[in-house]
Amino acid sequence: MSKRQVHQEHRDRIEAWRKDAEGLSYEEAMQALDLLLAELQSDSVPLADLQQKVLHGEVYLSRCQTLLDSVEQSIVELDPTTLKAANDA
Amino acid sequence: MSADRLPSYSVAELNTAIGSLLERGFAPRFLLEATVSRPQLKKGHLWLTLTDGSASISGVVWASKLAQLSYQPKDGDGVTVVGKLNFWAARASLTVQALDIRPSLSTVLRDFERVRQVLEQEGVIDPSRLRPLPSQPASIAVLTSVPSSALADMLRTAAERWPLTQLIVVPIPVQGSVAPTIINTLEALANRTAELGLQALVLARGGGSREDLAVFDNEALCRLLANYPIPVVTGLGHEDDLTVADLVADHRAATPTAAIVALLPDREAERQGLTQRQSRLKDTLLGRILRERQRLQDRAVALQQQSPREKIRRKRQELIQKHQLLKALSPERWLKRGLALISNKAGDPISGLESVKIGDQLNIRMSDGSLEARVDQIQPSAPNTTS
Repeated sequence: MSKRQVHQEHRDRIEAWRKDAEGLSYEEAMQALDLLLAELQSDSVPLADLQQKVLHGEVYLSRCQTLLDSVEQSIVELDPTTLKAANDA
Repeated sequence: MSADRLPSYSVAELNTAIGSLLERGFAPRFLLEATVSRPQLKKGHLWLTLTDGSASISGVVWASKLAQLSYQPKDGDGVTVVGKLNFWAARASLTVQALDIRPSLSTVLRDFERVRQVLEQEGVIDPSRLRPLPSQPASIAVLTSVPSSALADMLRTAAERWPLTQLIVVPIPVQGSVAPTIINTLEALANRTAELGLQALVLARGGGSREDLAVFDNEALCRLLANYPIPVVTGLGHEDDLTVADLVADHRAATPTAAIVALLPDREAERQGLTQRQSRLKDTLLGRILRERQRLQDRAVALQQQSPREKIRRKRQELIQKHQLLKALSPERWLKRGLALISNKAGDPISGLESVKIGDQLNIRMSDGSLEARVDQIQPSAPNTTS
């Protein structure tokens, strides 16, 4: 495998992680990050996988930061009798 | 005063004149503090006597108004009435028509104590029943009046603290038969908590008087809250106001804003937590590399110690040490201190007189050389008399 192919594979993997992380809530992404940190701190990760694991952790971290930076709050008003959405505030 | 100067009326005219005098000369609206006596429903209208112990006047709440009232007065209740005078000319009867009727503070507090006592005895109010609040709820229901400054404050606080939580706002009435409406809404919502993904409920009402919060002492409402499928946070009235709903809630916040603060995490604190994790991630990587490097170095040292050259060096070192030991033990040390080593012609060391006779040639070795000598005389030492 050429150096170029290795780089491409590396990029593809990070992209896949990013897509996975996009489906996670803040709490889930934070949990995944904490699990990864604990694994890294126990020295059980083989050295060859170390860099990959750290990059994966950064993907979770970035997901959390993006969510924290969001400013739009979803507010739905329900009709008190029917409990159907009255309007989307 | 002569009789013809006196006004003269028929009964109907008199009653009409009194009516018009009252209309012109009396405040169109007034507040009346009173105690309710003998309330009676007749054809949907509530008739009652308003009294202060020494004086009384009859009163009425028309059916149309009664439906809008959040509170139904009971016999003996202290009340504040917003009223106007109704004068019926036909019978010259005077009644206070209640436009609004509210329980007085003493009535509200008496009800609060009664419901509290009942629910405490039944174990419905029990601190051990309180459930923990979700740490980062995805969705919460906010029951409050809409629009209201309480809602505006809560929305602003939620946006500042944690925009990730979805807010499901359900308006609750402040006028009319408030308790049944809130109960119906709460019951309907309870059946849909899973569907809406609700993780907690906020029941909030902005400031006002303690009397305005009387609905939150409603026994049925409080029982429902105590057994609600998701944790309940109350933010009712002012800081000092305490209702039974506060006592059955899983968390009592002092105000509507405080309820949101209690339920939603603080974005800034989370941000700091993330920064810490970011440095931990970096430190973990660097720390691990450092530890691995140290491990590698330890192995290099161990390997080096196993090389033939190192083994020879260590053997040589051992030899040098032994040589030094040998030197330390040689007689040279004694010779240098002035003692001499005597040997015979054959080179055997002489250690006593028994191996010497007169005329023997002896060699005497000292630190700086040796000399030859012949034995002329032998004198054994005198026996030691002290031993």
